[in-house]
Amino acid sequence: MSTTLERPALRTSRKVPPSKDSRTLLKSQIRTGWALLAPALLHSGIFIVIPVVAVLVLSLTNYSFGDTWAWVGFGNYADLFGDVDFLASLWHTVLYAIVVIPISMAISLAVALGLNQKIRGLSFFRTAFYIPTVTATVAVATIWLWIYNPGSGLANGFLSLFGFAPNRWLADPATALPSLMVVGIWQGLGTKVIIYLAALQGVSRDLLESSEIDGANRWQKFANVTWPAIGPVQFFVLITSIVGTFQVFDLVYVMTQGGPGSETRVLVMDIYQNAFQDLKLGYASAETVIMMIVIALFIGVGRLLQKADAND
Amino acid sequence: MRRGVGLTLLAAALSVLVSSCGNGVIEKSTDGVPPAEATGTLRVLLPSFPPSTKGKEAFQKVVDDFHKTYPKMKVEPDFATYKNLNEKMSTSIAAGIPYDVMVTGVGWVQPFASKNIFEDLGKYGVTPDVIKEKSTPALIPAVTYDKKLYAYPLIADARAVALRKSAFREAGLDPSKPPKSLAELKVAAEKLTKRDKNGNITRSGFDLASATGFRQSFTTFLASTGTPLYVGGEPNFDNKAGLDTLLWIKSMINNVQPYGQTNAAQQPLVLTGEAAMGIVNGGVDCSADGIGQKNCDDLEFFRFDSGKEIEYVGGDLASIGSRSRHKDAAWGFIQTLTKPTTLDAIAKLNKKIPAYKDASNSPQAKSNPLSQFVADGLVYAVNENEVPSNWLEMRGNFDIQLTQAVLGQKDPAKVLHNLAGQSR
Repeated sequence: MSTTLERPALRTSRKVPPSKDSRTLLKSQIRTGWALLAPALLHSGIFIVIPVVAVLVLSLTNYSFGDTWAWVGFGNYADLFGDVDFLASLWHTVLYAIVVIPISMAISLAVALGLNQKIRGLSFFRTAFYIPTVTATVAVATIWLWIYNPGSGLANGFLSLFGFAPNRWLADPATALPSLMVVGIWQGLGTKVIIYLAALQGVSRDLLESSEIDGANRWQKFANVTWPAIGPVQFFVLITSIVGTFQVFDLVYVMTQGGPGSETRVLVMDIYQNAFQDLKLGYASAETVIMMIVIALFIGVGRLLQKADAND
Repeated sequence: MRRGVGLTLLAAALSVLVSSCGNGVIEKSTDGVPPAEATGTLRVLLPSFPPSTKGKEAFQKVVDDFHKTYPKMKVEPDFATYKNLNEKMSTSIAAGIPYDVMVTGVGWVQPFASKNIFEDLGKYGVTPDVIKEKSTPALIPAVTYDKKLYAYPLIADARAVALRKSAFREAGLDPSKPPKSLAELKVAAEKLTKRDKNGNITRSGFDLASATGFRQSFTTFLASTGTPLYVGGEPNFDNKAGLDTLLWIKSMINNVQPYGQTNAAQQPLVLTGEAAMGIVNGGVDCSADGIGQKNCDDLEFFRFDSGKEIEYVGGDLASIGSRSRHKDAAWGFIQTLTKPTTLDAIAKLNKKIPAYKDASNSPQAKSNPLSQFVADGLVYAVNENEVPSNWLEMRGNFDIQLTQAVLGQKDPAKVLHNLAGQSR
């Protein structure tokens, strides 16, 4: 049996003006709202809006830390699309994102599903998966530099057990970027696992039990109950992963400096190089604007995929 | 750190806008004020003193000496490295607190002078004749931009070539007749290269000292053919000599030395025995704390000569920031830095040669055979020569594109042509 609550009809069609007391209350609430918002707005204004506007303005100049500068219009943008280093960096970043995001999300979800079971040593495993996230990237990169060391590294040592010839992982143009991707995937697992784990623990037990009673197997339970339930979290992880992978820098800076050649040069590294090494701040600002647009495009695609998934 | 660059760039952009609204003055100028009465903070950026206890002690001696003339000036050092020098300078400018004294290297002066970041030292009586008389004449092109001098040399970073006598004898080569031309070097290096049964190189025949890029080695080998990299700011490598040199490097990598080979201590590989021959920088510690006397005795030094005997020489060059409020004091500090005793201390700390007239008789030159060799060879000095004003950008371009050519990813002739086109 179901009941429907109906809104009682208004006695008059004319809108009743609020009383003086309620107007005062409303104004007071509005004031309080603005007062509470003010610190966040101030912070966003100073540290996000103004710098973004500054970058947009600088991207239209040839400013290079010297005494003189000039407006160049969209000249920096035009130059960027003929700049092989920029194009290579953009391609490497997109490739890095396309490979790292889905793989790391899939592995994280699988690990989270495992850690969501009642198994022995659960705390240990949860800590172990989270440690790379809280470890400084420089330390992580140093360990991986040793792992990838062509002479005495663990990777070649392991492969030699199966008779494989040693590889020059980070020094070989063919394997340098994939080697970095492996580190990126591994390092990003911790945060995603924790988020997925929290989401999995929020999946309705009632729905899972109902599906079990209806005879659903493990896969059907996952596909029809768990997966839809963690949809919003998937989207959150996707967005943060997109932003994170597009801003990859420290790993590359420590491990390869963008080399060999420019095989692992990524967008933020190119921006850093142009801004702080080559002193081309106007040009680097134009690159930053392009990066923001590309990230926005990726997030837009993510939203579309999310909507399509929700409609299914 | 991942978001750090983006945020720093945004913050730098903001700072630029904010500082462009004001005049960025944070201290009153002391120029024209008698030294004894001048007050303020002199900000000094220099890679010449390592940030170790020894380095800081040596720097403090310089400060103490400076205080004899400027007793009320505070000195604030920033012990940079060549790797982070540019970002320190650019962020200081963006933040509106530029350095008063900046020590940079060969290739830095022209780009910064062209942006009016360095002060013309002609105002302080620095002329080519003064450098010839008191310092290292070979570094005059490195401190000159638009016929004006913007820096004063502190130390010379000279490179030579070393060979292992034992390795030469073992390979049937005569160590007293070192190979000097590119062709001779290749033949000898191939004989000296050792491999395991799988063909992997276990001892390099020649260390090109180019783990991260081939810019300096290309410059050096090209100069040994009598061809400087740049002449009057114009590229001089998009020619047969340039192409032959690049092809020669390509023929050496993964033939006599694996690409990217370094050791953990970042030591020249010939000093550690990982290479039979190779490029070395200007000093070697023959004591038990260093490589030891036995190892030292096994080394023989020589210079490249493919038509012209040369020695690659970089160096530390001191400049005054054009936005400094204490230019007189900054010049006073540079004068303190360039006293022979100070230069000797800096040279010892960095295993380089003091850039004063009689460097061959300096304590550093007398302390080890390699320093003596490179000090005696300063007359053969070469470097990138008169670089274009976008050299800071070109440094990276050279490193990337020469590597791509050497690894076979790009056509060497096209790479040189492209680099020449990018030089402005």
